[in-house]
Amino acid sequence: MGKSTPSGQAGAETLPRRRRRAGRNEARAGVLFALPWMIGLAIFTAIPLVLTFYIAQARFQITGAPKWVGLQNYSAIWADPAVWTSAQNTLMFAMISVPIKLVLALCLALLLNRVTMLSGFYRTVFYLPFLMPAVAGSIVFILLLNPVAGPVNMMLQAMGLSPPDWLLDPKAALWTLILLSLWPLGVETLVFLGGLQNIPKDISEAADLDSPRGWHKLVWITIPLITPMILFNLVTGIIYSFQVFTQALVIGGTTGKPAEATLMYMVVLYRAAFRYFNMGHAAAMATVLFVVVLLLTLLIFRTARSWVYYEGESR
Amino acid sequence: MSEKTYAVPGSISRRRFLHGSAAAGAIMALPGATLAQAEGQLLLWLPGGSDLFCKIHTGLLEGFSSSANLGPATTVCGLGQDTEFTQALIGSITAGSPPDISMLWDSPVSLGAQGAFMPLDEMMKNSKIGIDTWPAGLLSSCQFKGNTYGLPVTAGVYTMWYNEELLESKGIPSDRASFPKTWVEMRKLSKEFTVWDGDTLVSAGFMPNRIPETMAIWSALNGGMLFDEANLKYMLDSEQNIEMMNFFLEWLDEEYKGDVNLIDRAGNFKEAYPDASSGLGPAFREGRQAGLISGSWLMGDIYADPVPTFTRWNMAPIPVGPSGTTAVSGTWPNWFVIPVGSKNPQAAFDYLSYLAIEGSVEWYQQIPDVPTNSQVSLKAPNSLIENRGAEFADDLTAFLATQAAIVTPMWNSPSQSFGNDQMARAMEKIYTKAASVKDALSDAQSAAQAELDRVMAG
Amino acid sequence: MKKTSRIAPARVAQTLVYHAVMLAISAVFLLPFYWMAISAFKNNAEIFANPVLWFPDPIRLENLTALLTRDDFPFLRQFANSVFYALSVACAVCFSCSLAAYSFGCLRWRGRNLVFGLTVCALLLPGIVTFLPVYLGWTKLGLNGTYWPLIAPFFFGDAFFIFMLRQFFLGVPRELMDAARLDGASEFRIWWQIVLPQVRTPLIIVGLFAIVYTWNEFFGPLIYLQDRDEFPLSLGLFTFQAARAREWSISMTGALLTALPMVVLFLVTQRLFRQGLASSTLK
Repeated sequence: MGKSTPSGQAGAETLPRRRRRAGRNEARAGVLFALPWMIGLAIFTAIPLVLTFYIAQARFQITGAPKWVGLQNYSAIWADPAVWTSAQNTLMFAMISVPIKLVLALCLALLLNRVTMLSGFYRTVFYLPFLMPAVAGSIVFILLLNPVAGPVNMMLQAMGLSPPDWLLDPKAALWTLILLSLWPLGVETLVFLGGLQNIPKDISEAADLDSPRGWHKLVWITIPLITPMILFNLVTGIIYSFQVFTQALVIGGTTGKPAEATLMYMVVLYRAAFRYFNMGHAAAMATVLFVVVLLLTLLIFRTARSWVYYEGESR
Repeated sequence: MSEKTYAVPGSISRRRFLHGSAAAGAIMALPGATLAQAEGQLLLWLPGGSDLFCKIHTGLLEGFSSSANLGPATTVCGLGQDTEFTQALIGSITAGSPPDISMLWDSPVSLGAQGAFMPLDEMMKNSKIGIDTWPAGLLSSCQFKGNTYGLPVTAGVYTMWYNEELLESKGIPSDRASFPKTWVEMRKLSKEFTVWDGDTLVSAGFMPNRIPETMAIWSALNGGMLFDEANLKYMLDSEQNIEMMNFFLEWLDEEYKGDVNLIDRAGNFKEAYPDASSGLGPAFREGRQAGLISGSWLMGDIYADPVPTFTRWNMAPIPVGPSGTTAVSGTWPNWFVIPVGSKNPQAAFDYLSYLAIEGSVEWYQQIPDVPTNSQVSLKAPNSLIENRGAEFADDLTAFLATQAAIVTPMWNSPSQSFGNDQMARAMEKIYTKAASVKDALSDAQSAAQAELDRVMAG
Repeated sequence: MKKTSRIAPARVAQTLVYHAVMLAISAVFLLPFYWMAISAFKNNAEIFANPVLWFPDPIRLENLTALLTRDDFPFLRQFANSVFYALSVACAVCFSCSLAAYSFGCLRWRGRNLVFGLTVCALLLPGIVTFLPVYLGWTKLGLNGTYWPLIAPFFFGDAFFIFMLRQFFLGVPRELMDAARLDGASEFRIWWQIVLPQVRTPLIIVGLFAIVYTWNEFFGPLIYLQDRDEFPLSLGLFTFQAARAREWSISMTGALLTALPMVVLFLVTQRLFRQGLASSTLK
């Protein structure tokens, strides 16, 4: 990152001094410009992070003062079946939804990356779901996927299929939730498309001449060039999926109806904090989530060095 | 404040934005105005309910405030039900700007024990509504370690509701005395009405219970209990409860193809209200179900809701289980509390004592939540008299009184909502066959007991 | 001649298949919108009608009027709240994040990489991990129940938008700033007069993203706001649906009118959206 340019060193005597003064000014300005954010980072992130670890080791009911109980909250969440169920559901959700979403978004971006009369229309259509508030979207899907009177099942039945009960069947509900999470993939597609359109024409055309087979170009030229976007989408997708909340709450309530099939980690955490007023329990859950997400992102970034291609590095 | 201030901006020009932020400034200032109540002006929060429910309470509080020469009162309705409401209430209490009075739909014990509500015992001593004027079983849902944290001002009383027309169409006597007295009889009678068209449930008799809140009643009817208040022990996996759930599960298998999903696809057979997740109507009120358990509030809603309803419904005692001996009933009270930090605790208490005796009668006339204070004598609600005649209305009111007298203790755990959630979870697992009766109940038992112990230790 | 005549039909077929596939995918993506839109003009019986009514008949406008008059869903009020909330956050974000992003992207100072590294960490940090103490803090301040906890933090910046903007600031040629520095311009002036105009489009994009995110924000308002008259639309819609589950037509009208402003905003600005990404200064 901090590369120094050696070219200026052979210049006149005065230049380094002036440069140093300019550098000092720049450094001062740098700190000043970043100051509000550093304060915000401290107040809203760093200090609360420490406090969360503190609350996680206390018995605390919002009203009244926290009482130190050591690791008791951790043993309580370890023994809480709802935590395990929700962790399992959330992990399933993330591990299945994220890869499928990335592949779909990439396919859509590839399909969109050509100029036709309807390009603008298609783009608009694929971005739209992202603009739909999660609450509104979930409510619409509850209606759309009604097992008896919903249009989806009526259409499937008319085609002679026997459709599932979607959100009402405990065996199908989590899969339905995964399916619904694929609908708003506008941002992912947008990011991929941006990457595709950034591929320099000359590289793309050179590849066209060398290898007429489309998928060759895709595998050897296109995908390597958009690996930074894949990394971005992967990391944000996983972090987001681990925190899925709104859809799960609208569809499954605080109990993860039906039969805890849609019970997500964040819902259990929310329920512990704001339904049972057990702040210590919730904070302990939050710290566990923190550690898991931290390890996962470290893992991704560690492996990323070997597969992500940054254009800047070649310069 | 007029709605015009909040005119919707058409385009986001800079000028419009400034307008918007002016309006927004007003919005930000507003909570200060509504939350930090001046002395002598009562602020009441309601957890939910219909528009009618909100209007009744707004009217009662305004009437009381003007006759007691208090300042203008405010009633805030629709703060969200359930979790969102309690969360908002606790938030306002910790922030030091709570309402003066709040209604609760969950027992006040657990939050009271945590210090969120004022103990009312001192004020009750010198008032019309002393401790001895309340049914002890009901008041225990507000009491913890000798303190009373709220009042169960009114309560819906649970009974069996049945469709007289449907019974008569099968040549079965439809009077209350002939209604099944035991679960076995009820299950036998149920078969008469249950009709399947392939995998579609056309109509049904009765159903194994699926409402978690009423589970305490069914357990008591089978000689068991969910929570032993005297010993502070949950009893979810007791022999009686295992027997009860086995009875229900066998019933489900025998009569309903063992599949609650099939039932839910056909309509709401659980309760007499439309189902929230499927949007399907209540089978009972559509005349497709012989009977079910329901609270007495249905007497009002059955005529007020825009849901079609047959005319000839009636009530009967809830039948007794195989291991049970005596008939019992249950309630779902409307609790009232005075949050810690209330600016006008005495005026708030005066309102509660007015509400318990005079106000609740007016309330009952419009929505029949039964007043619980022993000093109240009841007349039948108007809508019932209009629709079914005075004789029927009087008979039903008398019947409800007999049922209210045999209420089983419920809502009395210091970790009520947690225990209830555990029971709901166990029932869902059992009915969807995700776990055996024994495993589901013992899971629920250990979780509920652990939470209770945690709350007690805190 | 021969060659082109052989290729042309293949091209045509290819194009047709392409459009058929794309239109089919589009239909799947649009179905929820379409269903929501038509349900807003039906009553309950028509929503659940079998066979499906693919077009409302008659077109019922009573849901719209109901939305304007109902006490249990003060739509206009909540709409104004949402507008205020989204615009405040957008403005706060554009201002605060462009400061920080400029510092991280264009200025060299000791500790910059450390602070930026921390910012990236904050970006990757699940919000709930820091939420509870922040909530307790706002509660202690007595600001629970106002929009302060929802907006004020954005005046300090937001990790995601700083990260996003920095990418664009990196693309501003350093020669431009060095030249200004040699002319003796202050760092503030360089930021305001030279760098910001270079990233005007990214700034607008960040603002748009902030508006969309805020409009859809649910968790914060759910925790911090208590009065129905103060709810933004997403929360108002949720509480309405939770309490009045049976009134699907009103819920759908509410959902439609909640989603519509974002759709319109997007349609109006999508050229910008796309331009910004296409001519991205990333490289």
